Amino acid sequence: MRHGSAMKHWPRSTSAGALALIASATSANAHIIGARLGDFYAGAAHPLTDLADLILWFALALLAGSLGPSAARPILLFFPLGLLAGSSVGAEVVFAPAGGLAASGMLVLLGLLLAAGLRIHRNLLCVIAFGAAAMRGASNAGGMGPETNRLLFALGIAIAGYVAIALVAAATVAFRGEETVSRGWRRIAIRALGSWIAAIGLMMGGLALAS
Amino acid sequence: MSFIRRSFLLAAIASVALASPAIAHEQAGVAAGLASGVLHPLSGPDHLIAMVAVGLWGAQLGAPAIFLLPITFPLVMAIGGVLGVLRIPLPAPEAMIALSGVLLGVAVAMRLRAPFAAAAALVGLFAVFHGHAHGAELPDASDPLAYGAGFVTATGLLHGCGVALGALSRWPVGERLIQGLGAAIALLGGYFLATGLGVAI
Repeated sequence: MRHGSAMKHWPRSTSAGALALIASATSANAHIIGARLGDFYAGAAHPLTDLADLILWFALALLAGSLGPSAARPILLFFPLGLLAGSSVGAEVVFAPAGGLAASGMLVLLGLLLAAGLRIHRNLLCVIAFGAAAMRGASNAGGMGPETNRLLFALGIAIAGYVAIALVAAATVAFRGEETVSRGWRRIAIRALGSWIAAIGLMMGGLALAS
Repeated sequence: MSFIRRSFLLAAIASVALASPAIAHEQAGVAAGLASGVLHPLSGPDHLIAMVAVGLWGAQLGAPAIFLLPITFPLVMAIGGVLGVLRIPLPAPEAMIALSGVLLGVAVAMRLRAPFAAAAALVGLFAVFHGHAHGAELPDASDPLAYGAGFVTATGLLHGCGVALGALSRWPVGERLIQGLGAAIALLGGYFLATGLGVAI
């Protein structure tokens, strides 16, 4: 009985403890930037505050999720690796302005694959994921300054990419559900989103050509 | 409330409470670009009525038009958008946009059972002109990418509204209502066409 009573009070005690911790929280002065971990956060935040990255990552995760869990799993490895590779290379090599056109082309490709509802082989998906990630990783490497810790910055980008891709792909897998008639509209909604993504990519390509 | 829902709610509250402004990118004008892109099809009644009419007509035609028209429209519209971005002129764009309201409205009002290829060709032709009008303003937007994302999203959502309204056609009264809506769209389109041509004020 005593044990049951303790168990009953346990969530209340935990809640009270958590509230006390939150109420007494003050700003941390652990000198994260001084410890150079600031470069990690800068790397993680850099792509998340760029609409071009967000749309491309979203499109890729949507495509992976729409193909099912078995197709989506490998890109959880290949996408962060591509970001890591791209940001490492991009720190050394300065890319030409054609990067905008390449990113637009990638958006059009991913959007068309989604809109057409094509079931591409997962190896091809891995190649596309790695290529797209390397491209955006190289582009994000432009955010590094001379004093930036490249490894931490690149790790920040890669982990942000992993989390974003994993969450969106998982949400897409859950949304599309099983292939039943009653859920057919969900697949159509995903295909419509693909056509929107391809349309955005087309116009960005036009803008890159015009400028 | 289930454990998953409670965890999700807790995570959402924690995310909001702990959020701080991200300053890695300047990304100046994203919000303004997005807002102007979203509002462009919504604030132009000639665009708005035509987009809703596409959804309504798709719903009346049924499968495959109900989902193929909203999927292909943004793509064809983007081709027109590229022409607009590149400043390649189209003949009488304003009149064609108004005409799209008239013809699509008439198609909905008359429940026109056109073959899918003919419907797609008609909608595709008008999509180019609508895209051209949006695309012409894209280079001047405070953030062109945000503007493009905004107007494509708004256009798609307007199609969705049309398709959702089209679900009323399952009931006889709803069908009459939709046909009335089509007639109103055609009349509005006719008014825009007349003002565009200088016939009406």
